[in-house]
Amino acid sequence: MADGSSYDVKLYIYDVSKGLARQLSPMMLGEHTSVVVYGEEFFFGGRGIISCFPGGTILGMPDSIVDLGNTEVPRDLFQEYLSSLRESTYRPEKYHLFEHNCNTFSSEVSQFITGTKIPSYITELPSEVLATPFGHALRPFLDSVTITPSGDNTMNRYGQL
Amino acid sequence: MAENSGTDPAVETNTEENAAASATIIKVTVKTPKDKEEIAIAEDSSVAQFKEEISKRFKAKQDQLVLIFAGKILKDGDTLGQHGIKDGLTVHLVIKTDNSCAFKGNTAGTANPSPAGNLGTPQGSGPSPTPTQPPNVLAGFGDLSGLSNLGMGSANFMELQQQMQRQLMSNPEMLSQIMENPLVQSMMSNPDLMRQMIVANPQMQQLMERNPEISHMLNNPELMRQTMELARNPAMMQEMMRNQDRALSNLESIPGGYNALRRMYTDIQEPMFSAAREQFGNNPFSALGGNTDNSGVQPSRTENREPLPNPWGPPDASAATTTTASGTATTTSSTTSSTTPSVSNPLGISSSSLGNGMFNSPGMQSLMQQISENPQLMQNMLSAPYMRTMMQSLAQNPDIASQVFTNNPLFAGNPQLQEQMRQQLPVFLQQMQNPESLSVMTNPRAMRALMQIQEGLQTLQTEAPGLMPSLIPGGMAAGIPGAPLPTGVNVTPENPPPSGPAPAPAPTPTPTPAAGTNTAQQQLMQQMLQMFAGGNALTQTPEVRFQQQLEQLSAMGFINREANLQALIATGGDINAAIERLLGSQPS
Repeated sequence: MADGSSYDVKLYIYDVSKGLARQLSPMMLGEHTSVVVYGEEFFFGGRGIISCFPGGTILGMPDSIVDLGNTEVPRDLFQEYLSSLRESTYRPEKYHLFEHNCNTFSSEVSQFITGTKIPSYITELPSEVLATPFGHALRPFLDSVTITPSGDNTMNRYGQL
Repeated sequence: MAENSGTDPAVETNTEENAAASATIIKVTVKTPKDKEEIAIAEDSSVAQFKEEISKRFKAKQDQLVLIFAGKILKDGDTLGQHGIKDGLTVHLVIKTDNSCAFKGNTAGTANPSPAGNLGTPQGSGPSPTPTQPPNVLAGFGDLSGLSNLGMGSANFMELQQQMQRQLMSNPEMLSQIMENPLVQSMMSNPDLMRQMIVANPQMQQLMERNPEISHMLNNPELMRQTMELARNPAMMQEMMRNQDRALSNLESIPGGYNALRRMYTDIQEPMFSAAREQFGNNPFSALGGNTDNSGVQPSRTENREPLPNPWGPPDASAATTTTASGTATTTSSTTSSTTPSVSNPLGISSSSLGNGMFNSPGMQSLMQQISENPQLMQNMLSAPYMRTMMQSLAQNPDIASQVFTNNPLFAGNPQLQEQMRQQLPVFLQQMQNPESLSVMTNPRAMRALMQIQEGLQTLQTEAPGLMPSLIPGGMAAGIPGAPLPTGVNVTPENPPPSGPAPAPAPTPTPTPAAGTNTAQQQLMQQMLQMFAGGNALTQTPEVRFQQQLEQLSAMGFINREANLQALIATGGDINAAIERLLGSQPS
């Protein structure tokens, strides 16, 4: 809030498929994204909306950074917005790997804060995967998996059965 | 009346409000985090008009609405066209709740001085900046927007606390502010105090019985200290939480590990969660080593809570800060004496003097005011078990209390008063424990009566300052709980500004018993004095006092020392009654 009324907004994109996570799980979803603004990184995971230092998740620094523009929204308003989201559509249990995941969150936040969308290839990723016969078959299984960038995947199978 | 083509509104230079009738109506989608509505509005409307429509549809007040489009905040004076808002586009809306207002620092506050004005009027003529209590309370706070913005019609203290929690969670800066507050730090550095407070929570006690490891943990001073260090350093805290987090998730992948984790969760975390949630709305132990946490973002929820109760302790200190200004420049009614160490205000601390950061935030201040205006709230507050815990801990820890005093800027300038306070401190703390005084405090009518008395006394002081010297210093020391509910409740218009000097010279703070002008009053005063004198019996901590009884109780087989102590305190040392209490056969 100190540097005037305009804040940079960036999108951090992590290519998860390159990392260990891929080996540990049959995760085909390649990208995790988060929005970085006010010097903090915000993303949505199995635990709900989380924030940390930019590049502070276990995934380290992003593979690519996209500049989403600027925003005038002050930080406390943004926090307010986030807390509404936390209570409604972005509660931890609402995480769905394909349909309501970190990228959904990044997209929505980006829309809110800058009015621009994130690159479409990211948002279209799940539907691409699902379109393949393989993806389709795996869907029920994948439904029960949550990616939490803070570390490893947590398999919720016990919770679901 | 210009016809807008609608194709290039961005170029529109007309920023006046146009009659809606002559322009094209567009449908704009207004999206909140939870909701989405389509609103039809004239294309060339101003943002203010748009907000009017929105406030009707979303049932929120106009000044709670914040509209965002393309990353820009729409100001009331702009037009929709200026921002390029056209048919079919989506505008984002955030409805500000009380939380955010509290965070806006003083912005909202300074913009809303009216409550001060309102309460100022009963004072009538006095141009003095510090009329009587009510306006002073408000003036002392500096900003009152919190009152309306805090918007808490509910007298439910728990809700209030939860809101504070939410505020805290959503704003890490506040946390660091709290941590930096020396008051908080001094509390934190006393592991015993922390431990006491934690342990006194009955659910915790249950939990401890079921899981002895927890009590081990609590009893380990090293661990406690470490935890508190952590609490002070949020960055470190987060780091640690993250580590734990990772460690725990690694556990999951070990065969059978998940089950172990789950067991851990259900056995320990859940009860704690619910215990905490009942009281504090949070898991108090996410920070204590060895136990699972919930999310990495909110690790420091734990320690936050500890400082929170503090300001509740002396809720209306500032209320009690009757002016007496004596022309203090600072509006923060730093005029001493007024902060009558009353029963409800044993430490005589005004909330505004508690210092920077959170305690001075408009949210807090408005809370104070709300409390003072709403006796019910007060009652709820006092009945909050942890409140009692807090008071007990303070009572048993005169050091902390005196530390609090020394840190209190209010008293800084008046060593004499400081001394006096210090002496009277143990007495006050005792009073806090006196169940009678507690019941008085929770009885709104009694409070009101006391307040009226106090006001009468003030009037008296100003009318007949000569009476002052003859007033009994000791009587005052008894801590007449006149202060608690000054504002709004019964502001008697005839309260002229008690001139500064009046209370100041007297060693005793404001509500000193009037000498004989009003016999009824005097009698009442004496009764009150006696009542509190009863609580003044000993200045030792209850533990010391009841040492013998405690031993007897434990010899009889009541091994729960805390419960014993509480029972003894409640019954004033009567063993038999205490036993009955412990056996649960007496309503408390």
